[in-house]
Amino acid sequence: MNRRKLLSLLGMSPVLLTGDPARAGQAKRADSGADSGQAKITAVNPKGMPPAIQLIPMAPRLASLDGETVYLVDTGFHGSDMLLQQIEAWFKRNMPQVTTVFRRKAGPYAQDDPALWKEIKAQGNAVIMAVGH
Amino acid sequence: MGIPSAPIVTKAFKDLAILNAAKRGMPHERICFTQHPVWGKTPDELRVYVDGQDPVNQKPFMKEVVDALTVPLSDEEKKSGIVSVSVGPPTFTDTADNLQDFYLNNGYTDFLPIILPTQEKVDAMLKGTSHHPDEVVGKMAAGAYPPWSYTVRHVAASAVMAGCRPEYLPILLAIASTGIASLFSSTNSFAFSMIVNGPIRDKLEFNYGIGALGPFAQANAAIGRAWTLMSKNLGNGGIPGDTYLGSLGNNLNYNNVVIAENEEASPWVPFHVQRGFKKEENVVSLFRGLGVVPGQVARGSSVNTSPMFDEQLSDLFSTFTGFFGALVIADPLVAVRLHEQGYDTKEKLIDWLYKNTTQTVKDYKSRNYAYLFEYPQALQGVEPFATWYKLPDDAVIPHFPRASSFNVVVTGGQTNAYPQAANMSYGVSVSIDKWM
Repeated sequence: MNRRKLLSLLGMSPVLLTGDPARAGQAKRADSGADSGQAKITAVNPKGMPPAIQLIPMAPRLASLDGETVYLVDTGFHGSDMLLQQIEAWFKRNMPQVTTVFRRKAGPYAQDDPALWKEIKAQGNAVIMAVGH
Repeated sequence: MGIPSAPIVTKAFKDLAILNAAKRGMPHERICFTQHPVWGKTPDELRVYVDGQDPVNQKPFMKEVVDALTVPLSDEEKKSGIVSVSVGPPTFTDTADNLQDFYLNNGYTDFLPIILPTQEKVDAMLKGTSHHPDEVVGKMAAGAYPPWSYTVRHVAASAVMAGCRPEYLPILLAIASTGIASLFSSTNSFAFSMIVNGPIRDKLEFNYGIGALGPFAQANAAIGRAWTLMSKNLGNGGIPGDTYLGSLGNNLNYNNVVIAENEEASPWVPFHVQRGFKKEENVVSLFRGLGVVPGQVARGSSVNTSPMFDEQLSDLFSTFTGFFGALVIADPLVAVRLHEQGYDTKEKLIDWLYKNTTQTVKDYKSRNYAYLFEYPQALQGVEPFATWYKLPDDAVIPHFPRASSFNVVVTGGQTNAYPQAANMSYGVSVSIDKWM
């Protein structure tokens, strides 16, 4: 499924694609048009109330990676470290002008690591994080 | 952070990654996808991944990564602002058959027929509590997503759908107030359980006798089912690939493991009293874990003359992951026997189980949860993991990190002395009375 369809499922795409914050899509309509002779009844929507989404502008991109320091951040999932080692090797073979720094994020995968983010902000120019599983 | 980033996700989690980024405010985040899985692959196999194509975007993988960090942002990627998300109108009108299909097709159900939450039935359900229908009960998150909020009326709608009676509603409100969903966004296929204590067990005719964990009483069946429907509807959980990722799923999710404690036949204090409540209070306690196994498979379970249930339970727990807790579900015959052995409190049994259910450090380090969750904590100095990771491989350590990992509940009809054991950890106990 493409990104547009996925966002439509979320009820976001009309807004995000048009910039109209007034509404963001609805569930599929209940009335199918079929007439079985049954009386119509009204039922309550059981869904809870989703939070509004605060759009976050993405960080400006670099003009190129030449001479830049790229942090390779391991989330801790099985195999992430080995995949990032292969990415590190790819940079050495193909873009040796890029400096890579490998770090394992502290704590279990869902735990925040503000110290690492601070280090990257001070000493890095870009981040590659793996894997989201 | 203000630094360009390229997240890498395996292709199995494409939908999850895109939706998660969108819900967190970056609907156009430049996610790079690699083959799945990366776990268990050799360096040479992973090099093929890196040198190959992004299997989702169908472009060279490393070009995707480099482009994610260097291609200038589009206007959409620079957008800020607030987006409201709608879940549709507050009511739906159609024939009963069409509404059944509509609720099923929109993921509001557990794919079994429901009682349609008509306005009249929801109004009748709302008479089960003194709380205002529009009172916000709590917030529930489907995994790592931002939580949804919900009112008493929302809870009542799921209660109707599950087949609950109005007098059940306070239990569901108590559960909803915790924000704990019984469907969890993890690849682990989690199971959930609740223990009900207090006079409400008899008032609502819970079954805590023969077949206590089976489909033999409306309260056990409908309240358990309602928790799953609430998890789908209140917090938007249970959408495969988005808010639910359990690879195999878990049959216990249909109505969870509802345990009304057989307080009258137990030789020990009830579970809620252990947690600081008064015996006459009505309390529901929630657990999460991987599942339940029968005691009949334990070593020593066929010994007739002197059954040692402590050893049987320890044998069962030794196969569990220590990351989750160990819940003893004891038939009263088992509990009485343990009491006669000298375990005159649950705490004494727990202490024995904690000290005598052991493993070697080598075995511990080989376990999935140790690597994922406890090794990172060991690196941060968290005990006992920091110490365990420094010990030699042949050192013997407890199988569970602490005695509080264990819990004991008594239920069942005393037709035979069989325990069951759940690899489940305790979450929270909450008052039901508060929601009456």
